[in-house]
Amino acid sequence: MKLDNIRPDDNISELLKEDLNKGFRLLVEKYSSKLYWHIRRLVIIHEDADDALQNTFMNAWRSIDNFRSDSSLYTWLYSIATNEALTLINKRKRNAAVSINDLESYFANSQEGSTWFDGDEAQIKLQNAVLQLPEKQRIVFNLKYYNEMTYEEMSKVLKTSEGALKASYHYAVKKIEKTIIKD
Amino acid sequence: MMQKLNDIPDKNPFKVPDNYFEEVNRKIISATSGFDEEVKVVSKSGRLRTYFLIAASVTGIILISYTAIKLFAPDKITPQVSEVQYNLNRDSYLNDIDISSLEEKASSIVFSEERPEVSNNDIIEYLLLENIELNDIYEKL
Repeated sequence: MKLDNIRPDDNISELLKEDLNKGFRLLVEKYSSKLYWHIRRLVIIHEDADDALQNTFMNAWRSIDNFRSDSSLYTWLYSIATNEALTLINKRKRNAAVSINDLESYFANSQEGSTWFDGDEAQIKLQNAVLQLPEKQRIVFNLKYYNEMTYEEMSKVLKTSEGALKASYHYAVKKIEKTIIKD
Repeated sequence: MMQKLNDIPDKNPFKVPDNYFEEVNRKIISATSGFDEEVKVVSKSGRLRTYFLIAASVTGIILISYTAIKLFAPDKITPQVSEVQYNLNRDSYLNDIDISSLEEKASSIVFSEERPEVSNNDIIEYLLLENIELNDIYEKL
């Protein structure tokens, strides 16, 4: 990994003002992996996550002039990525002939199938339990559990109060554990 | 039996193709900031190249046109007379004058020393080609 990738976001923000191309390049190299996994856990299928990731950065590039320096690049990018993932999920729901609510149905409705999934039984159970959550609650759970995002940052990403997010995460964990036990 | 979320090992069950992130980063950069750079570079050199080609084309057209004019334009401008008109003119000319007039004209011609001598036979053959009657020729010779 290039040393430039781990520049603080403040430095990248400044660089974006001085040299847009170089600054954006650093932004891509720093965040593409994190954003991909965030999207992937929501959309499950690699090909869909790939599309959504590229759309995320294209949208970011187009609206880079509108980026306000008082918000962080981190939450700004996660906000765009989350919206891209939700758009894709809703589109898939409209086009799917059957309901998609577990890994099996996700894989059955995609060309790649389970090619890019290698989880043991425990992981399969966990993923299926997470997929049972309502979309927005699933996002909250993923951002907290996998990304270890603070509630303050999550509040900026999802435009929701910290209190609501804490409650949402608490109940998401309870539901998942109940589902795993039941299975 | 698992009861808590924390009991589940922290393992990412999702996989990506080899070198995926290098490839997707390259695609994104070339579609955004990288592509702009390429466009700018091509445009700058492309514009210069275009101007050069235009200048070369114009110069080439001018040279070709000049050469064509020099090669194919006639040295003198002479009135074009149709072949029929020329033949009519020639015949009437010969019909209008008689042999004696022709001799008078011939006698007034001063030949230069370089001119080869022309025999009577040569003259007769020439006049026959001009449709002058042979009897007329012999009468005068």
